[in-house]
Amino acid sequence: MTDLTFSMKQRPETEIDLSPLIPEKLDGMNLDRIRRIRLRTRHKTVAAGDLFEISGRDKTTVRFRRCKGPVSNIGLGMQSGIIDITGHAGDYLGRGMRGGKIKLTGTAGDWVASGMAGGRIDISGDVGNFLGAAGPEERFGMLNGLITVWGSAGDRAGDRMRRGQILIYKDAGDFTGSRMVAGTILVLGKTGMHTGYRMKRGTIILRTGQPYISPGFRSCGLLKMEFLRLLFRQSAKMGRRFAFFKEFGPEVYRYAGDLSCEGKGEIFILQNARL
Amino acid sequence: MKINGVLIDDTFAEAFPMKATRIIITAMTLKWAYRAANSLTGFASSVIACGCEAAIERDLKPEETPDGRPGIAVIIFAMSRAQLQEQVEKRVGQSVMTTATSACFAGTYSDTHIPLGKGLRYFGDGYQISKVFNGIRYWRVPVMHGEFLCEETTGVVPAIGGGNFIVMAKTSRHGLAACEQAIKAIDKVHGAVTTFPGGVVGSGSKVGSKYSFLMASTNEAFCPTLKGQVKNSKLTDEVGSVLEIVIDGLSEAAIKEAMHVGISAVCKTGPKKGIYRISAGNYGGKLGPHHFHLREIMK
Repeated sequence: MTDLTFSMKQRPETEIDLSPLIPEKLDGMNLDRIRRIRLRTRHKTVAAGDLFEISGRDKTTVRFRRCKGPVSNIGLGMQSGIIDITGHAGDYLGRGMRGGKIKLTGTAGDWVASGMAGGRIDISGDVGNFLGAAGPEERFGMLNGLITVWGSAGDRAGDRMRRGQILIYKDAGDFTGSRMVAGTILVLGKTGMHTGYRMKRGTIILRTGQPYISPGFRSCGLLKMEFLRLLFRQSAKMGRRFAFFKEFGPEVYRYAGDLSCEGKGEIFILQNARL
Repeated sequence: MKINGVLIDDTFAEAFPMKATRIIITAMTLKWAYRAANSLTGFASSVIACGCEAAIERDLKPEETPDGRPGIAVIIFAMSRAQLQEQVEKRVGQSVMTTATSACFAGTYSDTHIPLGKGLRYFGDGYQISKVFNGIRYWRVPVMHGEFLCEETTGVVPAIGGGNFIVMAKTSRHGLAACEQAIKAIDKVHGAVTTFPGGVVGSGSKVGSKYSFLMASTNEAFCPTLKGQVKNSKLTDEVGSVLEIVIDGLSEAAIKEAMHVGISAVCKTGPKKGIYRISAGNYGGKLGPHHFHLREIMK
């Protein structure tokens, strides 16, 4: 049985909400019914069949092909199954998802995995701002799960993050891990300014030397942190791509902060870690 | 039945159900992991008075441990889950956490679990940090050597305690030499351990006593010095020393295998080197549901 595939016919002109197209909502529908699903745009609704060529029957895996333009909310609240996207996934990818897996070969916009409470998101390219962050007027960002970005992330990645892990293979923007409550963020490239700004707890792991550490952080010196071995070994179990380091100490510089808040967060700067 | 001239009694070892958990102790070097494991398994020979039975199962290579450091697998047995929980918390807290550079992880996973680092985390006095990787919660407790890393819980599995065989020898020297070979062989069996000092019991017991305050007392039927004194002596004239090997295991199969390799190793020694008979301890089937018949095992 082939996977249910949505191939985009043309770039949508206005923002379009793809949240109805998740495995558990599509389960039990035939292709005709799926084609008739109404998708909301800013001012009207369109039928899914008008926007996509739809084929396949297996609804446990939903594929989006040639995805582009101002799409949003792919995988919103998803609880199970797999969504496989090629192209640009727009804003709010995997927002509030509770389980399952989203695999994106391409890029995504802002607010990816905002409010995510479980599952896994794997993105091959870059993402915008507010990765795993709290939405407007929300108390917490990502609540659990694992996000892997093999490209770069914008500003405020992990803002108000409560639990879970974010792995960013390249660079992250300003305010990475700002207002973090808990969880782990690993950045293997560079980060911008104000990393860990007002973080209460949680762990930010950086590979390269940080040109600027916020004055709210205090150095705990060069330490051997054995738990990082555990982290990297557990990551490596997820696949060869996740075996980040050929060599690893585990020597790190540890900075505790942000002391203007609870001060129980930490920034690690890895030493002798060779990719 | 005779193996290499050693008589195998037509009897069975009687064993009873227990609860068990396996934990993995790692440290900077194997030596320090051993120190933690030795301390944890100290005074854990018998549930009669120690609260639990515990022993080192095997060494673990760095690639076998969660944190990539050398480690030791230890199995702890108790009569109930509650008893196991109490012993594990005390022993890990006092023996493993206090060992420099050590860390502690679960070695068994099941639906039933008991706290491992869950209670110990409070030693961190508010500075402890929780991390969840692959759905498993770990606690990082800041301590003077750095951090004590401990998995939150460990799985509890049904187990069997009291698998045994009894070695009848000319002298203690002959008996011990044979038993040492048996222990070496049993150490290679996964899921089975010998919890007594050196794996050998020098003072095997029977259930009960003439004294009402004692749960167990000397097994006079196997005491060489009482051969002519007690009516129920099971020893022949040439036997001058009796040693028992008690085996606890995570499964019947593990105990059977351990008994098989252990008895085989003892029998290799043979009567010329002072080993005459192999028997087993049982209480007529009243103690436990698991019966390990020596002759079936040695077929």
